[in-house]
Amino acid sequence: MKSLNKKMGKLAEDLACQELIKKDYQIIKRNFQNRFGEVDIIAQDKKVLIFVEVKAKTGENFGLPEEMISKGKLAKIRHMASIYTNGQEVQCRIDVVAVVLDMNGDLVRLTHYENVY
Amino acid sequence: MLVKIQSIANVGLETVPVDVEVDVASKGFPGFTIVGLASKAVEEARERVKTSIINSGFDFPAKKITVNLAPADLPKDGAAYDLPIAVGVLLASGQLPPSILSNLTKMFFYGELSLDGALRPTKGILLLGLFAQKKGNCQIFVPAKSAAEATVVSAIKVIPIKSLISLVDHLTGLKNIKALKYIPVTDELDILPAEFDLAEISGQEQAKRALIIAASGGHNLLMYGPPGTGKTMLARALPGILPPLSTQEALEVTRVYSISGLLKPGLALIKRRPFRAPHHGVSAAGLIGGGSNPLPGEVSLAHLGVLFMDEMPEFPRSVLESLRQPIEDGVVEIVRVLGHVQYPASFTLVAAINPCPCGYLGHPRRECKCSDKQIAKYHHRISGPILDRIDLHVCVSVVEIDKLAFVNIDQNKITSKIAKNQVMKARKIQEKRFKDLPIYTNSQMHNREVKKLCFLTPEAENFLKLASQKYDFSARSYFRLIKVARTIADLENSPKILVNHMAEALQYKQMI
Repeated sequence: MKSLNKKMGKLAEDLACQELIKKDYQIIKRNFQNRFGEVDIIAQDKKVLIFVEVKAKTGENFGLPEEMISKGKLAKIRHMASIYTNGQEVQCRIDVVAVVLDMNGDLVRLTHYENVY
Repeated sequence: MLVKIQSIANVGLETVPVDVEVDVASKGFPGFTIVGLASKAVEEARERVKTSIINSGFDFPAKKITVNLAPADLPKDGAAYDLPIAVGVLLASGQLPPSILSNLTKMFFYGELSLDGALRPTKGILLLGLFAQKKGNCQIFVPAKSAAEATVVSAIKVIPIKSLISLVDHLTGLKNIKALKYIPVTDELDILPAEFDLAEISGQEQAKRALIIAASGGHNLLMYGPPGTGKTMLARALPGILPPLSTQEALEVTRVYSISGLLKPGLALIKRRPFRAPHHGVSAAGLIGGGSNPLPGEVSLAHLGVLFMDEMPEFPRSVLESLRQPIEDGVVEIVRVLGHVQYPASFTLVAAINPCPCGYLGHPRRECKCSDKQIAKYHHRISGPILDRIDLHVCVSVVEIDKLAFVNIDQNKITSKIAKNQVMKARKIQEKRFKDLPIYTNSQMHNREVKKLCFLTPEAENFLKLASQKYDFSARSYFRLIKVARTIADLENSPKILVNHMAEALQYKQMI
């Protein structure tokens, strides 16, 4: 089960990247991590730096992926963002990409929320 | 979409309109936030509303939902905002017909939801009803289990809601819910028998007379005497001789009970005068009212009824002293961080005390075992200012054995029925006297009204003057004496206070 989740997560992140690229965003880094946590995707849209959290769910029977993103998780990403920017003054924001897959790993729905924090 | 649902907040007995603004945004990260100085119970409405909407078979929109309870600076408490929030969410997400939108200003929603979508009894419905009445031509949607409270309010439509589904069916026109019928208050005021009839109490003619005077004029009464002579029985017989509540009075009392949540579900109105007998372990906050969100205390729950303090010296001194202001003003003002509220507290205080710690001081046969110091200490527990506020002091002495005998049980004894008639007659006269004033009884008169409405014959005035000089009455005692005399005169249907009325009033005066 664990490995399946990991696989699905990876798949969802790939799908999210495709979506961002489609929107003319530049992917700067994937899976930026240190001991405080992880940011799934760091992208750039013109001058704005974007920290993206990807949340995937297999089926919507156990709730929406949107519901699984807590205030704490967003705060963590914010913390990670401040580490990444390291005091430089850049415009940035936090986005969420919610991905719903079916059991075969096919995409059911992908929603991109901008500036959620 | 943004919708505005109307509801209310109760601050003490004051009702403030609250707009529940629900916005279901088309953009933005899904979430559900409530703003507008909501307490924990209101914050938790989020989970109740969400779950009950889903469990009722409706969609909970996965969108950014923001609820604002306006005015934003007024603290809101209680679970009554569940229903307006749920209706707002359903309406803003298009699950209710938009035709309702135009009627929303004439609709009030109020009630607590349970997780299965049913509505739970909620306190304060009567206050909502009265507020809606003032606004005119309104519908109120309230939990079916406590909707009866509002049926005594005329000119509004009370729609009893059993569950969220039935409400939606009603609003969409699928299945109409019938509005509850207006019940005139007067039909509701029936008379329940009191615990004791005066005739059951042996002897104590003077105490019974004092009880009738207390009931007629709303005067405070203090009974002292050895244990087992009938003080508690007399006090418990008092509700039986008090006149039934008038329409206005019943609403006033019910408002207090509605806000404290003591009105049993399904009960429309408090029909009999309250009789409250707090135990002497009561705290000052319990007696006067309090809490971080101030609720009425025993004095307000006894409003227009009787507050009975058995074993008065056993009450903590600080608690007794806190009674001073309500006895004098008929209202209590409670100030807390969250705000400042006023509750009515116009009650008749009936106190019972023993003459000494062992109880037998002044007993004709038994010996008192207390030392002088003990007795002094015991008396010291009740301060002069409190005693000064009690108009009628009456000694309930030991009953002679032959009076207890079963033989002469019905020998022209005064029954509660006769006493009640006397009381009602006296109250009628008072009603006529105070028809332009917001008071009901002689004891509620202020000095200004005493001067204006109590006419003494010259002899009576002279008598009063002599008595005040001799006993050094305080100014308050002086006026209280006149008020008691006024009640005694009312009992005899005398328009003027005669010297014998004055003399009887004086006899009940504290002489210790």
